[in-house]
Amino acid sequence: MTSSTTTVATAPEAVATAPRPQRSTPPLRRTVPLRTRWQRDRSLVVMTLPALLLLGVFAYVPMAGNIVAWQDYSPYVGIAESPFVAWDNFARVLGSPAFLHAVRNTLVITGFQLVFYFPIPIALALLLNSVLTPAIRTTIQSIVYLPHFFSWVLVVTIFQQMFGGAGLVNQILTRNGWGSFDLMTNPDTFLLLITSQAIWKDAGWGIIIFLAALSTVDPALYEASVVDGANRWRRMWHITLPALRPVVVLLLILRLGDALTVGFEQLILQRGAVGAQVSEVIDTFVYYQGVINGDWGFATAAGLMKGVISLLLVLGANKLAHAFGEAGVYQRA
Amino acid sequence: MTTVSTPTGPQTPALPVAPRRRPRNRHRPVWQEQPSLPGAVAKGLVLTLICLAVLFPLYTVVLTSISTQATITEAGGLVTVPGEITLAAYRQILAGGIVTRATMVSIGVTTVGTLLSTTVSVLCAYGLSRPSSLWHRPILFVLVITMFFSAGMIPTYLLVSGLGLIDTYWALILPGAVSAFNVLILRNFFMGLDPAITEAARIDGAGDWRILGRIVLPMSKAVVAVVALFYGVGYWNAFFNAMLYINDNAKWPLQLVLRSYVLQGVTLPGSGVGQVDVATGAVTGLPVKMAVMVLAVVPILVVYPFVQRHFTKGVIFGAVKG
Amino acid sequence: MTPSRAPVGGHSRRTFLTLVGAGVVGSAALAGCRTGGSGSDAPSSSAGVASDDVLPAYLPLDYVEPDFPSVNGSTAGFATIPSELVQAYETPPGSGSTFTAMTPLWGAIPPTVGNQYYDAVNAAIGSTIEFQISDGNTYGDKLAAVLASADDVPDWVCIPTWNIPPRFDQAVESLFEDLTPFLAGDAVRSYPHLANIPTDVWRFCVFDGKLKALPFPGEIITDAIFYRDDVFEEEGITELPTTAEELLELCAELTNGRRWAANDLWNAATLIHGVVPKWRIEDDGTLTHRIETEEYRAALEWNARLFAQGSVHPDAVADNSGDAKARFESGQVLISSDGVGGWHEALARQLGSNPTYSQRPFPPVAADGGTPVLWKGNPANILSFIKATDDKDKVAEMLAVADFLAAPFGTTEYALINYGVEGVHYETDDQGLPVPTELAATELQPTYVFLADPPVVNAKVQYPGFVEAFCTWMADAAQYVQDPAFFGMQITEPNRFGSLNQPIEDLEKDISRGRRSIDDLDAAIETWRSSGGEELRQFYQDVLDAQ
Repeated sequence: MTSSTTTVATAPEAVATAPRPQRSTPPLRRTVPLRTRWQRDRSLVVMTLPALLLLGVFAYVPMAGNIVAWQDYSPYVGIAESPFVAWDNFARVLGSPAFLHAVRNTLVITGFQLVFYFPIPIALALLLNSVLTPAIRTTIQSIVYLPHFFSWVLVVTIFQQMFGGAGLVNQILTRNGWGSFDLMTNPDTFLLLITSQAIWKDAGWGIIIFLAALSTVDPALYEASVVDGANRWRRMWHITLPALRPVVVLLLILRLGDALTVGFEQLILQRGAVGAQVSEVIDTFVYYQGVINGDWGFATAAGLMKGVISLLLVLGANKLAHAFGEAGVYQRA
Repeated sequence: MTTVSTPTGPQTPALPVAPRRRPRNRHRPVWQEQPSLPGAVAKGLVLTLICLAVLFPLYTVVLTSISTQATITEAGGLVTVPGEITLAAYRQILAGGIVTRATMVSIGVTTVGTLLSTTVSVLCAYGLSRPSSLWHRPILFVLVITMFFSAGMIPTYLLVSGLGLIDTYWALILPGAVSAFNVLILRNFFMGLDPAITEAARIDGAGDWRILGRIVLPMSKAVVAVVALFYGVGYWNAFFNAMLYINDNAKWPLQLVLRSYVLQGVTLPGSGVGQVDVATGAVTGLPVKMAVMVLAVVPILVVYPFVQRHFTKGVIFGAVKG
Repeated sequence: MTPSRAPVGGHSRRTFLTLVGAGVVGSAALAGCRTGGSGSDAPSSSAGVASDDVLPAYLPLDYVEPDFPSVNGSTAGFATIPSELVQAYETPPGSGSTFTAMTPLWGAIPPTVGNQYYDAVNAAIGSTIEFQISDGNTYGDKLAAVLASADDVPDWVCIPTWNIPPRFDQAVESLFEDLTPFLAGDAVRSYPHLANIPTDVWRFCVFDGKLKALPFPGEIITDAIFYRDDVFEEEGITELPTTAEELLELCAELTNGRRWAANDLWNAATLIHGVVPKWRIEDDGTLTHRIETEEYRAALEWNARLFAQGSVHPDAVADNSGDAKARFESGQVLISSDGVGGWHEALARQLGSNPTYSQRPFPPVAADGGTPVLWKGNPANILSFIKATDDKDKVAEMLAVADFLAAPFGTTEYALINYGVEGVHYETDDQGLPVPTELAATELQPTYVFLADPPVVNAKVQYPGFVEAFCTWMADAAQYVQDPAFFGMQITEPNRFGSLNQPIEDLEKDISRGRRSIDDLDAAIETWRSSGGEELRQFYQDVLDAQ
């Protein structure tokens, strides 16, 4: 299953819907003078300006506040007056053994979900796409996305009422004398539990982006391939999957960039049930050690380190994608 | 590849066998083979299970929202077996006209916000979609940075306050107007379009604005619909910015108003018998929480099918037409 | 003392959030809400040593005699509503100014325009208060942001103690008016209703040696262990446990295949074992932290045994506290600890559909059967602050309004603020009890009360027998109440100590649920000591020595 996405990505004979990275570009770029390029690409640059303006004002200006990572910051004293403490906050984050433990838990959860959660919406989209009767397809689609709008509190409650020690399943089991189990408080199966919850809540919502990708496939390609004698399996391999490939690769890269972020609210809600040993992740660690104590410097330092690592992961994943001949987020320069 | 192959079932050379057994699905393109029986059964089973897994909890949520306190007490939580039915929770929430006005606020903010965000994002995505265009790498980098480095709540508040946006609807729209994620998704799709078409237009003398409006957008309805949906749902569900930036309660959006009903009847920490509970007639607890959940989703239920049309048209429809 | 951490306070912030059912704000980038403290290490600057000079004189005022008078500070009660209300204010105290006020709300948001309740109260007080009501569940975030931006701070700010933002000691000095000149000593005589608030409560309003806040007074006992006496009676259980051991046996007895005895009784365990809220002052003047005490260890062992013997409902084992009340009220569990306010709220929910519903608090139990110890709760849980201003007349006007708002039970002012306008927001039934109209549910939400409130009384006569049961129970329990160390003092800890507690809270859950053994406690205490506990002890020792 893991390999599915990468295999797809490498299928060399696939119908190319995504442009290949243009190798001719670099030499071109060096020779074309800036003025010419500006004249050629002026409208493109102008088009990005509104977004840049909004991000500049509302993301970058307040981002300057991250300087408090090097301060013992108090909002009532202000950034200007708060004392600088050099790398103290960073050292405090890294120096805590609980932090390393939280990092490990985070990576384990991310890794597990990458394998067992990430492919699910893709599979579901393909499955739905293969339903031929539009009425059925639309109906199912209009049902599966709904849990996305449930709060985590409700999702956890629903799971508790189904699989908890006093839940529906256990009631049936005990009534028939088949013993009982408690999925909700078992640290050993916690990974499985939170992944199931995530799948239940968000997999149905996750499919829409893949459906959009599937809708771009030119039906003529299918007809042509049938004429060439391709069966449905080969059609999926050579037409359907390649159409999904660019967006799958993009999402995979971005997910890797988010590797250090896993369901904060979901985990905090179930922390008592399974214990911090398995449920402490980076975000909950920072929350308990920094945020709720108003230790802004600590929390910001942790956030900055996370950001740097995320960025490196994305850039790394992007490089990897290039190695497989994918566009990824960036083009090869 | 297992997950992918199951839906289509085993690859039997199905063409000669099937037609006699079942009538031909009129939605099946002529070139597509009949599914094998086990394949169809497996598919049906999987889809039914998936739907049940969603529908059953949904049913308990709706049922709980219309159950009386007695029924809920009997069930000790979410209700699975219908008992006494009452619409009291809904009546209480919808009484007084506050929800109506908040709904108008939310619709306004969501509409304006979605239009703005989608437009800005489409422009930005297209502006970055031509490989090797001027400055596209630094601009992309500027975008990507915002995905991983966030500003804290207090600096953002100070900015919004400094710009004089406190108590204005712009405070609900502008701070989160551009999502780099959505821009990247759009860009990804734009880049997937056949370059030959845009190249041809360019040779015919069309500028980038024209190419975007006349060629790229019409071909990208699906992804634009998806991104608009992402933005729309984001604006619709947001409450935190409103909580921070809107002091005038008359300007509260729906989600914030609905949350206030959920909080009704909460025991405050350390509060004793002196805690005022004037609205003793009020419905509290589970039915209200569930009713709020239902009410918050209703508008999405209404809008979704219209959006959905755009991203499900595709292979099959096209094939029938063709 | 960091108020929100005090275990006697009932619920930690997290339990509160879960109670509310809205979960936790989903971003680490958002502000925290638990009290942390200043970056300065000097205890002198942040210690809340209240010199009695700054406290208002206590001049008790009884407009109507309670049927159940206060005993040892217990809550007084009224078996009937007085037929004649006293009008304390002949003319409105205000002089026509308009103030903005920010208050939290745990209820449905009322309309701001054309709200007859606001109009009536504003007319009666003679000033206009424009409320900026904010969602109670995220109020801490709102506070953190607003207080950081001095220009956005409204004239009057309500701050629940569990929302006191980190490093608040730095904010309070510059942002809020010093009320000492207006209220200290005999000055308070100009405000008779404020003078009716006991000294302990005012002590809690002192920050940095100055009287800074107005209180929403609390009760001296905040938590109780409740049981379903109606079910006990049905099952013929008449003997209530008098020791920790007996309670365990009772729990084992009550548990069967379809029912469990209790919710998580950790809070109950600390009550039974008399675990101190934070510190114990030894005879030699040294300080022992609560986790270092024998009582704490015993409570933890007891709770672990309760879990181990299978008496705790599986949902409670899964730490789902949001539905704890629902489990108790539906009889899935028969014993649960809760804030005392939870009692009448349960009656309000249940009596309508089940007139025989009943719950009672256990009389205080000492683990070994000896004399129980109850630690006094925070004397106020919600405070309000007046924005610093040079306009002293404005402050005086606001205090006059506060005095109106603090008019005690039995006055027309109290009735107006709590029940609204007769004939509009409530009708009086044959018991003399105000019955809210439908309009009340829309228009009337607690707002003014969060600015200033009189001492607590129990007048919930709508629940038959409740006032008597409540007041006699509390009068009995009050004899065991003791002041904990540093009682009633606002102490802001340096915030680097803020993270000491979480590992302990995690360990409590782990040991209770059998994931770790009680032996792990020693190691955890060692870690606590070495990672700041000893410094924290020194910090408090300095506060103590300064007294």
